[in-house]
Amino acid sequence: MKAPTIDYLAFAPILATLGGSLLVIAFALARASFVQRVVLPGLALVSIAVAAAFAVITWETGDQTTIIEGALAVDALALGFSLLVYAAGIGAIALSLRSEIARDAGRGEYYALLLASITGMTILVAAENLVTLFVGFELLSIPLYVMCAAAVRDERSLESGLKYLIVGSVGSATLLYGLAMIYGATGSTDFAGISAAIGTGVDATDPLLLSGIALAITGLAFKASVAPFHQWTPDVYEGAPTPVTAFMAVATKIAAFGVILRLFDDALLSTQLQWGPALAALCWVTIIVGNVGAIGQSSLKRMLAWSGVAQAGYLLAGIVVGTRLGAEAVFFYLAVYLLMNIAAFAVVIARERVSEHGDGLRSLERLGEASPWLAWPMTIAMLGLAGFPLTAGFFGKFQLINATVSGSYESLAIAIVIGSMISLAYYLRVIAVMWMSPREIEIPAAPGRASRKVRPAEGWSPEAGAAAQPEVTAVAVLCAVLVLAIGIFPDPLFDVARDVGSSLAGFL
Amino acid sequence: MLQAYLPVLVFVALGVAIASLFASVNRLLGPRRPNKVKQEPYECGLPSDVTKSFRFGLSFYMIAMLFILFDIEVVFLYPVAVQLEAFGVFALVETAVFVALLMLGFVFVWRRGALEWK
Repeated sequence: MKAPTIDYLAFAPILATLGGSLLVIAFALARASFVQRVVLPGLALVSIAVAAAFAVITWETGDQTTIIEGALAVDALALGFSLLVYAAGIGAIALSLRSEIARDAGRGEYYALLLASITGMTILVAAENLVTLFVGFELLSIPLYVMCAAAVRDERSLESGLKYLIVGSVGSATLLYGLAMIYGATGSTDFAGISAAIGTGVDATDPLLLSGIALAITGLAFKASVAPFHQWTPDVYEGAPTPVTAFMAVATKIAAFGVILRLFDDALLSTQLQWGPALAALCWVTIIVGNVGAIGQSSLKRMLAWSGVAQAGYLLAGIVVGTRLGAEAVFFYLAVYLLMNIAAFAVVIARERVSEHGDGLRSLERLGEASPWLAWPMTIAMLGLAGFPLTAGFFGKFQLINATVSGSYESLAIAIVIGSMISLAYYLRVIAVMWMSPREIEIPAAPGRASRKVRPAEGWSPEAGAAAQPEVTAVAVLCAVLVLAIGIFPDPLFDVARDVGSSLAGFL
Repeated sequence: MLQAYLPVLVFVALGVAIASLFASVNRLLGPRRPNKVKQEPYECGLPSDVTKSFRFGLSFYMIAMLFILFDIEVVFLYPVAVQLEAFGVFALVETAVFVALLMLGFVFVWRRGALEWK
């Protein structure tokens, strides 16, 4: 029996967020207002910053080291996706600072759970072994179930938490069943071992292996909200506290697609001919269902949830093709998706704290005149999500279409284009509500849903507007500026995406 | 080609058959001599006639959860203690880390009042 050798420098990013989570829990016992309001979020931010710093230090292009006896891979793919998760985490903390939810649920528990979930995501994207994959998957999910129910006095938040728990558990069980079958067929839990077994010991059309792959993608599709496993998404996103929704919408998707990329485009790449057409069908369904579902929504959170489903369909197209170009496109698109969605959610949060319409579309009426510092980021985010040129969303879609066409899945390129055209219907409506007279805009009525009463944020007055919540406005503006900057100078992000793509060894 | 998936069909059929067998055989074969105590869902524990105003104390869940946590701690500690010589210092350190983490959680729930019987 010999002890595993652990490369602590490579393991440091994961230890940093995990240690941060424990420290936050320990400090939460101090009741002092200063500790609760400043020290806890500060500690959480510092631990994420430390983790990000370690991730940047250990970043070495094209170099893959497996640590802890092959349980985790530290390469550009893991570190790149981890950095995106850290960015989402920092955004979520900034958006939660002034939120009543963190106070009601207990700030210590709230930030500790957030950090634990981030740790799970970084383990998931670095997983090089089926067991580590599942551990990361659960560590990601369980804190999120609790955080969805963090608004303990709001029935809809509790409903959302319970719904997510039940649907998520079904997803986990399905995934675990699939992983067990993949192990049964290939005789290895290691990704490298699985990839080596297929084609030598096991036939690529082995029924046990293919059943396992089907169950595994079903389980992961629940997390990534790929249709037809997306039904929980609008309800959970709407009920959960909005900062949690913002985190969940981007970070979970980043982690889920990170692990799908590694599992399907690395370990299972040699069976691509078998799973490719099946995933392509899912991709089509997701793009159509997500975009059509978003059209009728009057709640911004529900609309963004359906739009998230549609975006998951676009991202899946990059996985299906199984090429390096596809992997690069997935990373690039996730990075810009992160910025666009955080910007949009920041504006929703700023508005729902002061508007009598809550997160309804009407809360944005005439926002262009009232507070342009919120209206412009929302406009840029919506244009970006729709894929307009000069925003990062354009290059994201361009990359994906480029990857699908050169991977000879032209039909998926057509799906992306059709989906983007449908999506204009609901993205442009948001912009119209903000900048045009409300009488000209038809807003679908929400059947049987009373408008939500939200207490104004501290120190807010109609005149103060955006200035009363500087951190929320700052997040929105920063993300929107980055969306524009990447839309004009995409090269730095292209380079990072190329590094990430190059860490998957299986591509030709 | 699709014949290879026959085991899946057999598996599903067997699953349904066994589950419905266990669910129905008792009802079909068992003698029925009901009385009041037997009719209750559980024959021991709290009275099970739950009315609308009945509230089950949260403290029960807290204690039960903590019990399971420490139960599992012992399950982990025992094999390590028995085989410590074979595992060496690494196992000892790992166990110490595990217990320290558990202690942190224990101190947390204690200080937050989860052990006060309300």
